[in-house]
Amino acid sequence: MQAFENYLKRHTPLTGEQISVLKQELKEKTYQKGKILLREGESTGLGYFVCSGLLRAYTLDSQGKEHTIQFAPEDWWLGDRNSFYFHEPAAFNIDVLEETQVVIVTKNFMEHATEICPEFGKYHIYLLHNSIRYMQRRINQLLAATAEERYLDFIRLYPKLTLRISQIMIASYLGITPESLSRVRKELARRNSRV
Amino acid sequence: MKKLIENIVSKPTRPGMVGDGFRVFNYFPKGVITQRRMSPFLMLDFNAAYDFGPSDHVRGVDVHPHKGFETVTIAYKGSVAHYDSAGNSGVINPGDVQWMTAGDGILHKEFHEEAFSKKGGLFEMVQLWVNLPQKDKSATPHYQALLAENMGKLVLENNQGIVNVIAGSAQGVHGPASTYTPLNLFDIRLNSGGTFHTSTPSSHNTAVLSINGEIEVNGQKVAEHGFVLFKNEGEEISIHAPEKSIALLLSGEPIHEPIASYGPFVMNTDAEIRQAITDFNMGKFGYLE
Repeated sequence: MQAFENYLKRHTPLTGEQISVLKQELKEKTYQKGKILLREGESTGLGYFVCSGLLRAYTLDSQGKEHTIQFAPEDWWLGDRNSFYFHEPAAFNIDVLEETQVVIVTKNFMEHATEICPEFGKYHIYLLHNSIRYMQRRINQLLAATAEERYLDFIRLYPKLTLRISQIMIASYLGITPESLSRVRKELARRNSRV
Repeated sequence: MKKLIENIVSKPTRPGMVGDGFRVFNYFPKGVITQRRMSPFLMLDFNAAYDFGPSDHVRGVDVHPHKGFETVTIAYKGSVAHYDSAGNSGVINPGDVQWMTAGDGILHKEFHEEAFSKKGGLFEMVQLWVNLPQKDKSATPHYQALLAENMGKLVLENNQGIVNVIAGSAQGVHGPASTYTPLNLFDIRLNSGGTFHTSTPSSHNTAVLSINGEIEVNGQKVAEHGFVLFKNEGEEISIHAPEKSIALLLSGEPIHEPIASYGPFVMNTDAEIRQAITDFNMGKFGYLE
């Protein structure tokens, strides 16, 4: 919970007192690697703030192949909007890639935080717009960017993940084959290696 | 003066896997035995003797980076094949030691040697991480392949056993390893009833790990796989083996610099860690399939 409090103090106008009030309706949980927090089609109304660890949102296509939508390492939020906001069946699955400590939030938390601190509402809107512009960027990348451009963007957004997840998973996120990813990394090494 | 013992730690309850080829008990950093407490040593993983059995694929740990420190791999049973992005490769057989200076950054991978992996058998090894001083963290990556026959050999009188001096010196016998800071690393092989007397400066952070057999260290019983941490008081150490035993002694002058670490990167500041991550992502450590 401390990581979440620190995040709120750093990024939002919530005061310590207000956070203490809001904390009462929050749950903190630790999940082991491999746990599935949400399955496509379920509607839990839950979103997650990652205090430590790593979550992933993904879908499975008709051949059973995984497509990674988003990662959520420390200080990231993750939720399926259908389930979290609209209480409709989730479009994505969410699973746990490393032992992860989360704070579980609901739509009520966001609304309550805005009630007691209207400025929080503005932060929430900022968060949403920021999220949308990343999604727009991602759509454009998946449509138009080269494999190398996608990889360079990935390491800017998630610099530490190359140390924490497999190449196959990174390739899945980037929408390229693992072989293409290897080629990109090999080419970067050819240009930049100091070994 | 006899070196005082601070703590005798039992083998951890559960091992962890590194890749699918290394089933290790981590002795430090853990609890009060922090990286600062064991400086210049950063980590000790011990793959206690374990029969992996025959395998249809080569077991090990795939490509991963290191920067800012050294990895020392000591083979006791079984063989380890390694490859790095500088184009080096080799096999470490029982009694051999690979001393890899990651320095400015390198990629490597370690597997059970192919023939050993297919046949299976007992596998036993130690991996020790040794920190580099700030001024040497940008050293060009390189490694020293220290073969069993080239270790400093201290033969104890009256058939008490032999000490393979890997680094530093014991009773005037020097180890072949070249190190950036003063340290000792002894592979001690005692026959039943044998005793090894040595000393390390009180300033050194010093420890002894029992690899095989119950031993007595400065008069205190240490169960097999127990880990003895000495205080920084006194110099003299005696290791006695009621039964045939193998022990590992490590001692080193602490490096009095800040430690910032993230996984396989050990630097001095968070900014340097961020730079290390960027350098790795951008291919500066080379490429390894």
